[in-house]
Amino acid sequence: MTFVGLVVHNVGVKRLRLALTSLAIAIGVVTVVALGVVTASLESSALAIMQTGRADFTVAQKGVSDILNSNINEATVPRVSAVPGVAQTVGVLVSTTHLNAGNPLFVEIGIAPDKLAAFGVNVVRGRAFGAAATNEVMVGWRTAENLGLRVGSPLRIEGSTYRVVGIYSTGQALGDAGAMFPIRHMQDLERQPGEYTLLFVQVGAGVDVAHVRAKIEGDNPQLVTIRTTSDFGRADRSLSLISAANRGSRTLAIVIGAIVVMSAMTMTFVERLREFGVLAAIGWSRRRVMSMILGEALVIGLLGAAIGSLLSLVAVRIVQHLPGLEGVLHPVFTADIFARALVTAAAMSLLGGLYPALRAAFTAPVVALRHE
Amino acid sequence: MSNQQPQPRIQLTDVSKFYDDGEVRALDGLTLSIFAGESVAVTGPSGCGKSTMLHLLGALDRPSSGTIHFDGVDLRRLNAVQYRRSRVGLVFQLHNLLPQLTAQENVEIAMMGAGHSARQRQERARQLLADVRLSGREGRQPTRLSGGERQRVAIARALANEPDILLADEPTGNLDQDSVDQVLSLFAGLRDRRPDLTVVTVTHDARVAAAADRMVHLRDGRVAGGASPVPVAPRE
Repeated sequence: MTFVGLVVHNVGVKRLRLALTSLAIAIGVVTVVALGVVTASLESSALAIMQTGRADFTVAQKGVSDILNSNINEATVPRVSAVPGVAQTVGVLVSTTHLNAGNPLFVEIGIAPDKLAAFGVNVVRGRAFGAAATNEVMVGWRTAENLGLRVGSPLRIEGSTYRVVGIYSTGQALGDAGAMFPIRHMQDLERQPGEYTLLFVQVGAGVDVAHVRAKIEGDNPQLVTIRTTSDFGRADRSLSLISAANRGSRTLAIVIGAIVVMSAMTMTFVERLREFGVLAAIGWSRRRVMSMILGEALVIGLLGAAIGSLLSLVAVRIVQHLPGLEGVLHPVFTADIFARALVTAAAMSLLGGLYPALRAAFTAPVVALRHE
Repeated sequence: MSNQQPQPRIQLTDVSKFYDDGEVRALDGLTLSIFAGESVAVTGPSGCGKSTMLHLLGALDRPSSGTIHFDGVDLRRLNAVQYRRSRVGLVFQLHNLLPQLTAQENVEIAMMGAGHSARQRQERARQLLADVRLSGREGRQPTRLSGGERQRVAIARALANEPDILLADEPTGNLDQDSVDQVLSLFAGLRDRRPDLTVVTVTHDARVAAAADRMVHLRDGRVAGGASPVPVAPRE
């Protein structure tokens, strides 16, 4: 029998305890994975909006609770455009609307038709809307597929009926699952005349993007530039809060899981105290006794991680199809999330196993041998 | 020719062990020499310090005062883990086998950390169990063995690392007569194969005591009569 074989064998002796402890760890892992997936999905969706345009970076209002609440006056555009190195600036108004049960957060983008190419929009069927049109809309190819729309089809949004004049592709899933309107009409609809949500900035070839971003933020303290997911938190406090909640939940899951493991392992310690005395008597070192107990805790943790990872796949699917969230969440299962789950489970089990392991290793052999 | 006594394998000098801040004196100035190859039976009434002495010899506990030397080296200067692993084999009255493991695995775990591969441990455990006449019982868990069989597994485990000293605490305490005979026969056979093996047995059983080379009677934590008994010449 190998040492690892002994560890695994010992874990399997108390099967009900093993099942319950693993389940407790699994629940912690589900929390970590599910929240991780939801957060990653939201970040991914948010970044997709940022990346809809063919931009080097995006400019938003600083410190808003939600990126879609960002308000940038159109007077800002010339100032940003005037920053040395900026080649083009495109202002867009972004909003969401409840189209139907399958599309509760349908993305609407307002943009000037002459900026479509700069924004990375390819009109694949039909034509672009007119700049002053009030009843024309372009839909992304995903929207066209989902809703069965063609050029010339009517589309009813928030009580108004529009005619689909074109179908576009941006190369981004979220943008292609939305619709685009003339900027002026959308500003009127949203009662935000002269306002943009975001500015998409392209810089010239060979220009230092970081330098341009710093200049824009320096000249306009109310603005923030976004290039990566991590930048996003500076503009969108909701996402920052979700990320913080994710981290907090993970910490809490580790603490609760560790307490459960500690409780189970301490019970095991009391039951097996005489065994530890015997092991000391036959020449086992403290380190070996500790390794055995921590190894047993780790096996329980890994089992919990495996069960939790499987359960989290189910949990995320359920959350994804909850009423009101249908179509909002696009789960992103990354290796990083599962690695975090594994680390969490390992942390829970090792933390929980530490106290009983120390007690087992440092209890005097004669005391342990006298234990009934 | 020299008449010098050989160096004792174990030398206890004025050893005392107190508990409860000195209120309980388990051993009280015990002095005793035990030689290599000698079999010593330690007898005495309950509470006279027999098991305490065995625990001290096994480095499971430390004396409150006095010294214990193993082959002339103070036990305090030896690594207790290595000493317990390679110098001493312990047999307990209640056998103390790990219930979740088979007979073979119970013997194997004594060799973990002693530098053997898993295969070597497996082969040696099988041989040791054969030596204690338990071939065919290797895969049985303690609950599926008789009291005598469990004690024989415990003896095999105690011998796993070829110790210099075998310490047995009431090894026949819970056994029926047939099993006692088997254990005594094992001990006798063992001493024939390992003439240098020192055996210290704590016992209440007159037959077990009679089988030893020397009997040491303890009373109130010291050798009865006050003087250390004269050791017999070590076996050749």
